Amino acid sequence: MAVTVQIERLCQRFGRTTVIEDLDLEIGMGVFGLLGPNGAGKTTLLRTLATVIAPAGGRLRLLGLDPGDPEQRRELRRRLGYLPQAMGYYPNFTVFEFVEYIALLKEMPAREIRRAVARAIERVGLGDRAKAKLKTLSGGQLRRVGIAQAIVNDPELLLLDEPTAGLDPEQRVEFRALLREIGGRGTVIVSTHLVEDVGAACTEVGLLHRGRLVFRGTPEELAALGEGTGAGDTPLERGYSAVLAGARAGARA
Amino acid sequence: MTDHLDDVAHLSTCDVCRRRAAEGLDVNLDAVWIGVAAEAWTKPAGRVERVARRLLRSPGLARALVTTPSLVPSWILASVAVLAIGALATESTGTPWVPLLAPALAGAAIAYAYGPGVDPAFELSRSLPISDRMVLLVRVLAVFGLNALLALAASLATPEIRGLSLGWLIPMTTISALGLAVATLARSANAGVAAALTGWALVVLGGAASTHRLAAAVTEVTLLPMYLAGTIGLALLALHASSGHRMERRTWQ
Amino acid sequence: MSDDELLAAIAAGDHTALRELFERHAPWMAARLRRRLPRDAVEDVLQETFIAVWRGARHYRPQGAAGGWLWAIARRQAAAWLRRNGRAVVSLDELDSPRSEDVVDRAIDRVDLEGALAQLGPAGSDRRLLVDLALVAGYPSKEVSQLLGIPEGTVKSRINRLRRRLQRALERGAEHDRPSR
Repeated sequence: MAVTVQIERLCQRFGRTTVIEDLDLEIGMGVFGLLGPNGAGKTTLLRTLATVIAPAGGRLRLLGLDPGDPEQRRELRRRLGYLPQAMGYYPNFTVFEFVEYIALLKEMPAREIRRAVARAIERVGLGDRAKAKLKTLSGGQLRRVGIAQAIVNDPELLLLDEPTAGLDPEQRVEFRALLREIGGRGTVIVSTHLVEDVGAACTEVGLLHRGRLVFRGTPEELAALGEGTGAGDTPLERGYSAVLAGARAGARA
Repeated sequence: MTDHLDDVAHLSTCDVCRRRAAEGLDVNLDAVWIGVAAEAWTKPAGRVERVARRLLRSPGLARALVTTPSLVPSWILASVAVLAIGALATESTGTPWVPLLAPALAGAAIAYAYGPGVDPAFELSRSLPISDRMVLLVRVLAVFGLNALLALAASLATPEIRGLSLGWLIPMTTISALGLAVATLARSANAGVAAALTGWALVVLGGAASTHRLAAAVTEVTLLPMYLAGTIGLALLALHASSGHRMERRTWQ
Repeated sequence: MSDDELLAAIAAGDHTALRELFERHAPWMAARLRRRLPRDAVEDVLQETFIAVWRGARHYRPQGAAGGWLWAIARRQAAAWLRRNGRAVVSLDELDSPRSEDVVDRAIDRVDLEGALAQLGPAGSDRRLLVDLALVAGYPSKEVSQLLGIPEGTVKSRINRLRRRLQRALERGAEHDRPSR
């Protein structure tokens, strides 16, 4: 497996709280699901990979580039797509203008931008609203705008933090299809606490608990760990609870 | 059964024949639509933006520049109007209104350069190759330059007070830095505008109170060191306020 | 919505109407173009056609003949494409119904129309304007006379004369650059 994301002994701290501790992780092409309860460090990890915050300790190598070096960081950012959990937006921009603005700031070749923006907008199903101002959109539609800006540059590394918030079931199905398509050509890391979202689209899953990786494997392997236990309505949920319970017990011991 | 492909009038109305016509076609109509949409959903860049693209050597920074709220024609016209009124008032009252008004106008304009396009999407903007700081820098320089030119033109238009034609320049840098610092600290353009206007008003009134001359703030040479110190200090504050570390403490949930 | 209604909406700036029109008409137009043109040509021509529709929808006169109007634009775009890419690819003669007997109708498909038109007079001249409106765009004489402010009878006789001259020019072949009279 060609490794695209190399995380070595990563540490992240805020003030005196350690959010991520000694994380080792290697990810290749495909869709990688990041699971875990709130406060587990999923968002912090994604923000670190998106080069929004620098690591407090450890090494990162993304798409063969070192984010610590300014030139390489800039090149990495051109090949990145990032959807934060709370994405602000400019109310008076239209859908097209906003995605185009981000495409410009991603330093995409100018000639390709308009087609790429149109394609991204169509892929998230917002073609009819392309010229609508962002302030007129619903929460789910805004989320799709966020997905569009993340994919506009056909990123090699796509980082999505809770992307399906506000999407209805039909839209989530379409979104998972989009993930699988992108995962075929690049690396997607999706953070979510909707376990079922993950099961359908992800080739691999990682479970984060208090900043440590307590499980890494396929969704089937996770489900298998939950056999026989009671907590959860689906195999994946049971596996998830089982691993978490084990992790909490281990932490207390 | 024929496909009536030769009969345009028939094809105009018959859905059956239309659908049959498209069967087995190797033409990528989706790609064609993307090309059409790219044209229909947006208008081409204006002349100012095209010039900016060449000057800045960056389509992204050029777009960031033309989306600056304080560089839109209506804002510029308003500033021109205020300065024109000031110039006229000077001729009749003898008080040098242009130097007294110019710093406040510039400060407000600079504070307003921080806003749409920089924040609120700052989380996203920190993962982009063209960072929010670069955007802010380009905007601040452009807005300051423009306001300085306007003030220069206005003071040249009031010949009696020639000696003061540059008395506004140094205070303008201070009040601009004040507006920028408060805007980035409070993450609010409006806060910056308020700070710039009240700050300058206080300085002017303070100078007037102690010397009994209204224009003291822009005529007393002894004030220059204070202004310069203020500019440097506030600029550093703005720099710190927009840096990564400070953002962390405020945004982590 | 009918095609006429869609085009009116497009003229008013409604891009969703453009999408609807595209979905209705692009497939059969693509099929027709594909009979004679390579795939990438068809895609280019279709794209340019609908961009032209987006920009020029206000020139459409609602007569329930949207298909014909669209096809006329596509033909012009196809001719332009052939000019840009060398005429060696194919002739447009068979694009339209081969049953058409009218020499001028068939000739309009030919790319040397431009040369023949040039023989009628310089671009922008009254003669060219008349030919563009009546023969190329197909406006009825009554409309042309209203547009140009000349009596309908005059329009008709001038059109006939110009049509004959055009016919002769096309038969001579536009390659021979002859000074016009």
